[in-house]
Amino acid sequence: MANESGMTAAQAGGGAEASVIHDLGYRRYEGARDGARGAFHALTWQGIRTLLGIGRPLKAKAVPVCVAVVTMLPALASLAAAGASGGQMPVRYGALVAPQLLMFVLMAAAQAPELFSRDVQHRVLPLLFTRDLTRDRYVAARWLALFTVMFAIALAPLLLLYLGEIGIAKDPAATFANMRGKIGPVLLLATCTGWVLASVSALLSSLTARRAYATAATLALFLVSAAVVSGLEKVAGLPEGLAAVLQPIEGYRTLALQLFGETSRAMELTPPPAVWIYLASYGGIGALAIAGLVWRVRRLSV
Amino acid sequence: MSPPLIQTSELTRRYGAVTSLDALSVVIEPGITGLVGANGAGKSTLAKILLGLVSPSSGSASVMGHDVVQGRAQIRALVGYMPEHDCLPPDMSATEFVAFLARCSGLPATAARERAAEVLRHVGLFEERYRPMGGYSTGMAQRVKLAQALVHDPRILILDEPTNGLDPAGRDEMLALVARTGHEFGISVLVSSHLLGELERICERIVLIEQGRLRRVASVGSLTEATGTLVVELDRDAATLQHFAQLLSARGLTARLERHHVLVEVPAGDVPAGDVPAHDGTVPTGHHAPAEYAVYDAVRDVALSMDAGILRLERRRGQLAELFHGQ
Repeated sequence: MANESGMTAAQAGGGAEASVIHDLGYRRYEGARDGARGAFHALTWQGIRTLLGIGRPLKAKAVPVCVAVVTMLPALASLAAAGASGGQMPVRYGALVAPQLLMFVLMAAAQAPELFSRDVQHRVLPLLFTRDLTRDRYVAARWLALFTVMFAIALAPLLLLYLGEIGIAKDPAATFANMRGKIGPVLLLATCTGWVLASVSALLSSLTARRAYATAATLALFLVSAAVVSGLEKVAGLPEGLAAVLQPIEGYRTLALQLFGETSRAMELTPPPAVWIYLASYGGIGALAIAGLVWRVRRLSV
Repeated sequence: MSPPLIQTSELTRRYGAVTSLDALSVVIEPGITGLVGANGAGKSTLAKILLGLVSPSSGSASVMGHDVVQGRAQIRALVGYMPEHDCLPPDMSATEFVAFLARCSGLPATAARERAAEVLRHVGLFEERYRPMGGYSTGMAQRVKLAQALVHDPRILILDEPTNGLDPAGRDEMLALVARTGHEFGISVLVSSHLLGELERICERIVLIEQGRLRRVASVGSLTEATGTLVVELDRDAATLQHFAQLLSARGLTARLERHHVLVEVPAGDVPAGDVPAHDGTVPTGHHAPAEYAVYDAVRDVALSMDAGILRLERRRGQLAELFHGQ
């Protein structure tokens, strides 16, 4: 015990010695100030870097890198198969990307708290709110960072398929001309994924300063929502069509298949709701979550 | 006439049933101002209202003529804030963090990096600034907190308990840094602390608040000049210190024991050196010396006669505290 405290005292003494203040003067800053726009840009960019683990320890890069690799491997395998079979096995976008939803959810659940929970946990908000950032602008910048990253993560496998399909074709130019119609669904599905996942995970993360709780809450919401939706359908009389849309795994799969003009046996048996119903529902969920996020951050005491 | 640095009028802030600030009206002029009060006296609340983080329940406040509610945007560029609590993300380096906050104050990327390096050097952080801040000592963390408050070149610094958690040496360094920032760079400082003693060393003015009310505003210089108390600490136990004080008293000095040190009153002005006899009984005659020197000599001689080592010998200006307590 005595030894331990002796060690600590010695270390403390060493630290104080090493940090002597030197007189190096102070200069005024007379240069340009970008104001609110510069601050917004800086906060967004720092958010994107944090989410992707750029400039941070290896541990912080693990989740984004794993998710990107795991979601893009099936796309590569599918392209290889299509290439080897000389186009006998068509590339199916929807069927390929739908099962990756769990990975996208994992990404959002793990990374959204890096921004929203950590800012509260480390108490940097008072430092931000006394600068050129209002609370609303803070939410906008942080959300935009998260959305951008989630959009990119969801886009990556689809874009890989799209470019790969052109690449492996015997006549790339002709294939490119034929595939004009596919880039729209690629972008739409990625936007939709990013919109819902970024907004919901941001809201849940802003509710707690503990990263682990926020991650668990996002995953739990995703996992139990299927049960909740079918419960609502039976008890509260939620319309069957809407219930189909709100089932996270099935709903996402059906939307993805429909967007790319693909089909499944279940869809042939019971025709799914129209694409616009999916888009409106997901749009609404995202918007609600953003409204909740803004409300929450406005009320945070700093 | 330019508006006062900080002005509050009937400023009140309630948190539910708790009144944190109670009709506080005070004018703070440029320079270094100390804000003193016990924990919970309303120091942090006042700082947060001036920064626009908290809105007043009633009354008004302005910073350099800008109202804290309407003029928030203008105030932000003028004010640097060092909060009381920890605010450093552990996995970021100090350079990265301070540059990031500079950009959040609107500085362009290159200027932000340059300013960050400059202010970190200024607060005395060198190679450590590239390491993650999670491993910093309290002293280093406090320096980074001060650096981030300075990085956008504010006109006013609001420092909430900057010496919190520091050891005596760290405290002295932090206070010296705050004093330099205020005196040499022309940045006005509002520094809060629950320790009056440390503030009166660096502040030109002290604002004392108690339970959210203004108790008193006093200028430091006019009150604590000329006279003083000498603090002497020896490497001996209390009994020896008591004996030491008695020996000093026997030499005609006013000395008393206080906890682990002896306080010796230093008379004002010049006295003939001969008035304080040396320990061998001879009375030196001739020239006049400042009274202070004679007291120092006496302390040294008595300690020598007891074969005791002097650990600390320091002028203390304890006048202001007595003045406040006397109210």
